[in-house]
Amino acid sequence: MRIEGSFDIALPRAAVYGHLTDPGLIAACIPGCDQIERISPTDYRARVTIGMGGIKASFNLVVEVTSEQPPERVLSQTRGEEGSRASMLAADNEVALEEIDAANTRVSYVSDVSVTGRLGKFALGVMKKKVESLGREFAERLRERIQIQPAASSAPEAVPQ
Amino acid sequence: MSVDQGVFRPASVDEAVSVLARLPDARLISGGATLVAMINARLIEPAALVSLAGVDELHGITENPDGGWRIGAMTRHRDVAAERRFTGTLALVQQAASLIANATVRNMGTIGGAIAHADPGLDYPPALVAADAQIEIASGKGRRRLPASEFFVDWYATALQSAELVTAVHLRAASDGVGLYHKLARVSGDYATVSVALTMSSGVAGIATRAAMGACGPTPILLEEANALLSGSPGESELNRAGELLAAAADPVDDVRGSAEYRRLLIPRMLARAFTEARAAIGART
Repeated sequence: MRIEGSFDIALPRAAVYGHLTDPGLIAACIPGCDQIERISPTDYRARVTIGMGGIKASFNLVVEVTSEQPPERVLSQTRGEEGSRASMLAADNEVALEEIDAANTRVSYVSDVSVTGRLGKFALGVMKKKVESLGREFAERLRERIQIQPAASSAPEAVPQ
Repeated sequence: MSVDQGVFRPASVDEAVSVLARLPDARLISGGATLVAMINARLIEPAALVSLAGVDELHGITENPDGGWRIGAMTRHRDVAAERRFTGTLALVQQAASLIANATVRNMGTIGGAIAHADPGLDYPPALVAADAQIEIASGKGRRRLPASEFFVDWYATALQSAELVTAVHLRAASDGVGLYHKLARVSGDYATVSVALTMSSGVAGIATRAAMGACGPTPILLEEANALLSGSPGESELNRAGELLAAAADPVDDVRGSAEYRRLLIPRMLARAFTEARAAIGART
């Protein structure tokens, strides 16, 4: 399934780029993400738990940043599984930053996600709605956090373990 | 209360509530039509099951002194489908029950289990919203009632809090009129691609209509503005406008049953068909 969305942030593009490549900040903004760690210069390991209709799934994900084109674009791939390997998840992601004006940036994201296994059997149409609503929640949390803070540069060393 | 292999068997609603309060990861099991399939597919792994089979007050359909009805949460779809006392505007509840899945599921599944699961493709939710039913909910603090339109809150989500359970569905006394439930499904027995539930009665100010669309968003869609357009003496333009409003309010999924676009296209057409049929039925009577 293809997940798309965009949101605007009242900060210059270079500042937004710095925030979006800060894994600690991103982890704090992803609903249900309780862990993230950097395992190589381009790879991150994260755990994300989502729930719907009594179904709970906790994914162990590895995110590989495949291309960084500051301050415009980040490409990444996500691979993951539930603890018991009951479901597998794979996604190709693209985040693009567009300058609206000197002080405002539009963030667009596209993710091509495939889910197989036990969750693949369950209402994928509804799951897409759920993921889209998580995308909106992410945008809100990110906006809340970075619009009130001074623009900081990327600080991956400060990642909580 | 007996407990056998992780299955609690309370004899009263209070006992069931106390188990839920103690074990938040326990799941209530009523008919098991959906829950057992989900357990088999390993979609859920409840810490324990709380069977409601032995709670007498949850069973059966009773008529209230005011002509309204109480349908116990454990009432099976088969029994609602066979209920000939739901006449007039209430006939849509009986019709919706008769169109749920297949005979096997109707023999197992219950009204309380269905609405607590709140799958958007189910038949009961739009019917109960159109019928302006009330959902009776029990918790450790006692009972509360919610209109069906406030009970369904999101995809697979209801107003039920933890350690609460549905105990009954209340229907107001039937008005002399028509209640219709139409379901479009790929094959008989499937979940609805789109469904429409509608009640219509006639009075001195013309007709009064309530319409709810099912399977085209997280919860049934009922709009007061659309109902106002469909009441009084509506013509074709009011009917079209109501269909447009409902389609605009829809948030359908793309899935194997149809694309979101197709579902939006169906909404005004299904509404028009149900509306026209109800109006003809009212006209034939007066």
